[in-house]
Amino acid sequence: MIQTKNLSKKFVDNEVLKNISVDIPDQQVVAVIGPSGSGKSTFLRCLNGLEEISGGIVDVNGLIVDAFDAKKIRQKSVRSIRQQTGMVFQQFNLYPHKTALENVIEALLIVKVMKKSDAVSIGEKLLQRVGLIDKKDSYPSKLSGGQQQRVAIARALAMEPAIMLFDEPTSALDPELVGEVLTVIRELAEEGMSMIIVTHEMRFARDVADRILFMADGEIVEDATSEQFFENPRTKRAKKFLEKVIEY
Amino acid sequence: MNIVIENLPFLFKGAYYTLLITIISMFFGLIIGVLTAIARLKGNRLLQGISRVYVSIIRGTPPLVQIVIVYYGLVDYGITLGPLTAACIALSINIGAYVSETFRGAIQAIPSGQTEAALATGMSEQQAVRRIILPQAIRVAIPPLGNTFVGMLKETSLVSVIAVTELLRSAQLLVAQYYVYMPIYLSIGVMYWIMSTGFTFILNKVEKRLSVY
Repeated sequence: MIQTKNLSKKFVDNEVLKNISVDIPDQQVVAVIGPSGSGKSTFLRCLNGLEEISGGIVDVNGLIVDAFDAKKIRQKSVRSIRQQTGMVFQQFNLYPHKTALENVIEALLIVKVMKKSDAVSIGEKLLQRVGLIDKKDSYPSKLSGGQQQRVAIARALAMEPAIMLFDEPTSALDPELVGEVLTVIRELAEEGMSMIIVTHEMRFARDVADRILFMADGEIVEDATSEQFFENPRTKRAKKFLEKVIEY
Repeated sequence: MNIVIENLPFLFKGAYYTLLITIISMFFGLIIGVLTAIARLKGNRLLQGISRVYVSIIRGTPPLVQIVIVYYGLVDYGITLGPLTAACIALSINIGAYVSETFRGAIQAIPSGQTEAALATGMSEQQAVRRIILPQAIRVAIPPLGNTFVGMLKETSLVSVIAVTELLRSAQLLVAQYYVYMPIYLSIGVMYWIMSTGFTFILNKVEKRLSVY
């Protein structure tokens, strides 16, 4: 379960997130959408501490980061939160000096201090799951963008996260490679994984997400089920946004 | 030319010391350099300050001055070092500063997404540096490090001033004995050149090895 209370984030004088309070129960699939610069990615990055929060509280499964706590205390909870959340980045960020399998098992070896043979068997299972077991010894440079992103998903799953965070997972992909990545994410959703997905793929959001958070100017402007949001958006901003996106 | 051939064993001994000093100083310089680069980038303010001052002093003073300070200067404080030890210490400290700048650049060349990916899986900052950032930075650093090390090999000739019988001083001793200049100096020039080429060759091999990905 993820909860934020009055979460805010400032870059110098620029307020990127304004008092965001939201509750995300387990097993929910949430899509965060909105125009660029609306703070979607920043919101996601605040949840696992890749951005330091400027105000408010983030609560992930009872692990609490309070902007007013001392830095040491915050850092400690942030690290525990990261071990319970998996993150997938727009630019994949695979380790280029490690093979697909090594990418997946790295955290198992280093963070969980697992025996290599155990880690490898977990890693192989995960690569199987994303359909890339035959590429386990390939370096990222030898993989297509879609394959890299699937390895990145396997890497994030390796730590058995309670929640998966996706930061525009298909935005850097060639159009013909988007499908294979979305399929993997969809399968995860069907298995009941909790996820927060920042995305520009409207059709995907509509199909897969239980709930839509529509953000604009650092605020959650609309919070609705995906059906409600796409059929009948309540706010003017959401209507305008949808008109624009659907047009193309 | 006969003089050179007759005295080749003597010159080889000088070349041996040149190589020895180079390799020892490279080894410690590398350690100093990596630690300094990390201190500069990830350390607290004190560590950052210390490493910045260190690099600034070393880069801003002639290596010859650094060598004589370590060898002659420290004697005033009761620290007497053998010439070889002094040479290695001075050159390690010297090269460490240059290596640290090379590494600082290399570490900064690694995209921040790499650190973020590592942190997101629950690694500590230290683990991320050790496992993810440094191995990639080393690869970036190899070509400029090659330059530094070949420069180092040639810089060892400076320690002839503190009576380390490395290659240059061996030649000087021969010159003093036979009063013949050109063949002797020319032959050590060739020897330096061969050693530099050897180094470059090895570094190219290492670079190839590291670029499997």
